[in-house]
Amino acid sequence: MSIPNGGLITETNRQYYAGAQQFQAKAQTATNVPTDYVGQTFTSTFDTNLTFSSSDNASNGFNLNNFKIFTSPDANTWTELLPSSAIAKTTGTSNTASAITQKNITIAAANTSVLVGMTVLSATGAFIGVIASVAVGNQTFTCVNNLAVAISNLDVLTFKLVQPYSELNNIITINASLPPSIYVKIQLNENTLWDSNGSYSYTRLDDVIDNFLIAYVGAGKLIPSIKRTDVIFHAKRGLQEFSYDTLKSIRSQELTVPLSLTLTIPQDYVNYVRFSWIDQMGVQHTIYPANELTLRPYATPTQAGDGSIVQDSNDNNTELTSQTTEAWNSNNPRALSGAFLNDYNVADLYWQNYYNNALGQRYGLNPVTSQRNGWFVVDDRKGQFGFSSDLKEKLIIVEYISDGNAYDLDARIPKMAEEALYAHIIYSILSTSVGVQEYIVQRFKKERSAKLRNAKIRLSNIKLDEIVQVFRNQSKWIKY
Amino acid sequence: MAINVNTVYQTVLLILNKEQRGYMTPVEFNKIGGQVQLEIFEKYAEDMNQQLRVPQIDLDYSDRQINVDEKLSIFKEIDTATYTTSGHQIPFQYSGNSSTTQSWTSTTNQLTYPLIGDSISFAAKNAISNVFVDEIQYSPDQYTISGGNLILNGTSPQAGTTVVINLYSKQFYRLGTVIYSAGGTLPIQELERVGSSELYHLLSSNLTKPTTKYPIYTYKNNYINVYPQSIDFGISVNYLRKPIPPIWGMDTSVTTQYTFQASSSMNFELHSSEQTELILKILLYAGVVIRDPEIVKVAASQVQQQEINQKS
Repeated sequence: MSIPNGGLITETNRQYYAGAQQFQAKAQTATNVPTDYVGQTFTSTFDTNLTFSSSDNASNGFNLNNFKIFTSPDANTWTELLPSSAIAKTTGTSNTASAITQKNITIAAANTSVLVGMTVLSATGAFIGVIASVAVGNQTFTCVNNLAVAISNLDVLTFKLVQPYSELNNIITINASLPPSIYVKIQLNENTLWDSNGSYSYTRLDDVIDNFLIAYVGAGKLIPSIKRTDVIFHAKRGLQEFSYDTLKSIRSQELTVPLSLTLTIPQDYVNYVRFSWIDQMGVQHTIYPANELTLRPYATPTQAGDGSIVQDSNDNNTELTSQTTEAWNSNNPRALSGAFLNDYNVADLYWQNYYNNALGQRYGLNPVTSQRNGWFVVDDRKGQFGFSSDLKEKLIIVEYISDGNAYDLDARIPKMAEEALYAHIIYSILSTSVGVQEYIVQRFKKERSAKLRNAKIRLSNIKLDEIVQVFRNQSKWIKY
Repeated sequence: MAINVNTVYQTVLLILNKEQRGYMTPVEFNKIGGQVQLEIFEKYAEDMNQQLRVPQIDLDYSDRQINVDEKLSIFKEIDTATYTTSGHQIPFQYSGNSSTTQSWTSTTNQLTYPLIGDSISFAAKNAISNVFVDEIQYSPDQYTISGGNLILNGTSPQAGTTVVINLYSKQFYRLGTVIYSAGGTLPIQELERVGSSELYHLLSSNLTKPTTKYPIYTYKNNYINVYPQSIDFGISVNYLRKPIPPIWGMDTSVTTQYTFQASSSMNFELHSSEQTELILKILLYAGVVIRDPEIVKVAASQVQQQEINQKS
């Protein structure tokens, strides 16, 4: 089962679980010559495309790579391939002095590991030049430019590849000379592996679009022809709509409320699902919206004594700091909730000693405001969330929904809702096409609705054992 | 697959000559033959469109869509669209010679025949080739054109044999699917053709703007303009090429009569199943040339009957 064999799974177990793909370099044979071991290519077959910027770990671009390359003589002990790796560098002792007006470097003993493109460094690490050509005999090398630093006789020189490997369209080229039969491994970074893990439960939007064009469009079908851009539009719109009320919300951020009591709305935010603060046991406590209590005014114009709004020299209204916000930030939420003002700071739901003595002593509380988890408010003017002062420096989690189109990775649909998306696309197309009989449109409208309902039920994840456990609650005494 | 030009010519002459109605010279035949071939070829796209709207029978040899596609397949080509500052250029836009020929007298054990002049450039552009050894046409698997040479496979012809190669440039006819291949293991993407009026809306819309996964193009003045504009390589076009005009080649060494010479001839490229229609249509034009309304009438009625059979 571990080898992909024509099914939908195309990665091996090792690729999926360990994020690694292993190769072996060319073996030593009678026909392979030294140059055959340079520039060997290895094709990645991960589902994830490789991202490459630089193989020099001293450059910033190195951190943009989503993979690393390792080599090993035995496929057991692995060494990362870097400019400093033994494979990517070699040394030689000069046997003649070279001035800075020259381009040539000569070393005492022939060295076949010196390659075109290698950087030459002095014993102190000073840059000397970059090899442009290697003369026959592998002892004399010509640099691209005149030498940056003069070389004395018997100087120890280091030759190294600044870019020991490169990548283009998922094909890795090892610029260094690989020893025969050495093992090479592509190792995905952890974040990249996370993106890939669990992806089998989704279908990529690209696949949905392609599948739709194959299965639903063509001569003799209800949609004889359609522009692909129309399908893309309806697929993306469908994904957006599904994201709002059908697909499970997977977006969340763990943040600490700063002293300013505001946090910037996440970049891909469409609407919130829940705000909660986290106690010392990691349990969530829902933070409620302060809709009925306060708001963040969209504009706070300066007013003259007669109440008229004041403009500046550019004819724009001048603005003041919101007094509503200031008052809200400085209030004591306990005064709102009806809680005892001298209550403990931790609204710990496991802690009941205090309330055991006060049971039944509070009447007439408004359930909407009788909570001590804090409040949040959305500031649409500044694109921020505001929090009540009791949440200051508390750890919170913002759960929110996006629209499935923010990032490339988002453009996928759970397989449980795939059929609903096809139904959505076909209905959207038929209902906006001329010459389609209304009964056909209605048929697909019903089909879309039914499939969407099925998708919602499936994605609700109602499991028998879980719901039975909830129902067991009924055997308890009902408390009034 | 091709239809032998001499067979067609002789059949046309046979029918025309019956009861001494008239005669058609090779020059007239070549002109009319080219015209008729194009006429039949032009009809394929319309036939296909017509058949696509009709339910087909999924049985061997009787699916009309497949049959039309088979006739078109002879002319289907794929080639690279070269990137220039004006866009990706459609391949095979020729303004010079459309054919070239070269011949050699073979020596002992000679299998390689070097091309010269136009033949080299025609061969480099993957021109259509016909090779004749001692007036016998070689099939494509009997020779290779590589490195500026014609290389015969198998045994070498006897010394003194005449080896002839005719090269015909491919002429672009109609644009088909345009594809983009970034290389490596990245999937090949099909480009969607859009009109200029749609283009600006598409580029402005965040949901539908073209990406390297779903690129689009506009087509004008033999150039493909691809969006996103970052795509400046890897564009290939599927296209139909024009059929090579037929040539009934004559042996110029014989002055007393028109004698067929295979090595200077080019067969009709149409599918073999078109032979009857081809002859009938040539006869129709021949009737006009020799001013015989009866021939025109009979041929037209036959052509019409055939059309009805094929499409009813």
